[in-house]
Amino acid sequence: MKNAKKKLIRYLICIFAIITLNFAIPRAMPGDPVMNLIGEDVMVSADTLNQIRSEIGLDRPVYEQFATYLWNLIHLDLGYSYHLHADVASLLCERMFWTLLFVGIAIILGAITGTYAGALSGWYSDSKISRAVTCVGMAVSCTPPYFLALIFLSVFVFRLGIFPFKALYDEPTIASVIHHLALPVIVMTLFSASRNFLIMRGSVIQEKNSHYALYARAKGLFDRGILWKHILKNASLPLITQVALDFGFIFSGAIFIEIVFSLNGMGTLIYDAILGRDYPVLQGAFLVIAITVILANLLADILYGIIDPRVRVNER
Amino acid sequence: MNKKGLPSLNRYGIILLFVFLCMALIPSFFSQYDPDERFMAYEDPSSKHLLGTNDIGNDIFTELIYGTRISLTVGFASAIIATFIGLVIGLTSGYYRGNVDEILMGFTDVVLMIPKIPLIIILAAFLRPGIWILILVLGVLSWESIARVVRSKTLQIRETGFVMSARCMGFSPFHIMSSDIIPNLTHVVAPKFMLATAAAMISEASLSFIGLGDPSVKSWGVMISFAFTKGGFIREMWWWYLPPGICITLAVISIALIGFSFEKGKQTVKIE
Repeated sequence: MKNAKKKLIRYLICIFAIITLNFAIPRAMPGDPVMNLIGEDVMVSADTLNQIRSEIGLDRPVYEQFATYLWNLIHLDLGYSYHLHADVASLLCERMFWTLLFVGIAIILGAITGTYAGALSGWYSDSKISRAVTCVGMAVSCTPPYFLALIFLSVFVFRLGIFPFKALYDEPTIASVIHHLALPVIVMTLFSASRNFLIMRGSVIQEKNSHYALYARAKGLFDRGILWKHILKNASLPLITQVALDFGFIFSGAIFIEIVFSLNGMGTLIYDAILGRDYPVLQGAFLVIAITVILANLLADILYGIIDPRVRVNER
Repeated sequence: MNKKGLPSLNRYGIILLFVFLCMALIPSFFSQYDPDERFMAYEDPSSKHLLGTNDIGNDIFTELIYGTRISLTVGFASAIIATFIGLVIGLTSGYYRGNVDEILMGFTDVVLMIPKIPLIIILAAFLRPGIWILILVLGVLSWESIARVVRSKTLQIRETGFVMSARCMGFSPFHIMSSDIIPNLTHVVAPKFMLATAAAMISEASLSFIGLGDPSVKSWGVMISFAFTKGGFIREMWWWYLPPGICITLAVISIALIGFSFEKGKQTVKIE
């Protein structure tokens, strides 16, 4: 139980750190903090500017500002985008759904294919196919995700014309959404699968030389039986932590892939916010992404406890 | 570690990296033009311009060669910063143990969970594009895994006989760390250093792509970004956007391969 408590405290500190960073960055950066808080190149009258200045209360002490900031956060008030003339929270909500959908599918598919292929490749690590696949996996994991997306876009959309080149759907039907999301999901899946593949392969190679694998063989179990029933369970332990830590990385990759495929998700929102220096949106996006990543880590910790009995025993 | 024990993959990695290093150090040897020299815009590849020219008429091949230096500099410089921070935190944490360890490793865990790319995007957006700022931000945000391996290795080393005797002889902790522990950390730090370089290069390319790089120094990422925004992509000028991307991938692979072979070398040493 002590371990779990310690972990929970770390998660809480992490969330607090992210909120503090989000609070501090616009105030600490060079330039007029009001401009930093509402975004540059905004068309607002001098009156509105003064009103905002008094609302944010930059003349008040820092702890008071921080308290107001927290109070707003609790009420899900992430500020107002003067570029898009909308509430940041509602903007993010709408975009987040699509990004989560697309990242979620890709991570699940990537975990399944990566684990499966990695386990096989580790088991038959000397075969030619296994080596070829490892080279491909290595190459994919070393490519910036958006570059992979660019290649796919140019081959499958511009050259072959199989997939549409932008937007989430033509008409809001499931078939249309699938057609539009297929290519980005494939790219994302390849990317996350390649990382899982390499870890799983290494992990299986390590486990297959251990004593219990030898014993299982001596007992007369079949090859595949040893792999899927005994080794997979032990070898997938490092994978779970990795998938959780990777979540942030995959999520960042998704941002770039969305930009390439012009999908209306978080990525394009962030991209437009960068181009227009729309800081409230950028900050809101960072906060939401960071909290999602932390939740994913929490989930992985719980899963780890369910799968690995040793963790449960230690905690009692 | 002897050269013979290293696996064969490593050789390709070293050859590749050597080529890239040559391109970075003596770019004028590879290309006949100056990177700022202007010709006709949007030219197709020919014997005069191996990869054609871009929107303002610069020779793309020359740009590619000169971009090597920038991309590699960003990678290695930020990895050096990250390694330094990771080494200091890991060493202190592993050597002093106890409360110091608890606090520092808690801090590391917290930093490890913060998603890096979105944070870098915010910082880079506020700070305005600049190559040194990019290096600094990338370096300061990627030391956690180095700190972790350094700590666990330090925990092992501090129990060995030579550290014990050094402590008995009354050497200062700083002296023990710098002359007894650090030399024994090279084989865990070296692969991490290479991987940090590779990750920094990918991050730099990604950030440049969304316009947060330094547009005045053309790294490979900035080249792809320009090809994407200045019509190279719509015109299907694959000779413009493919080569820089392939160069990034190859450079990252070569660096990662060298890193992995360090790790393999370590394993064989252990078994022996």
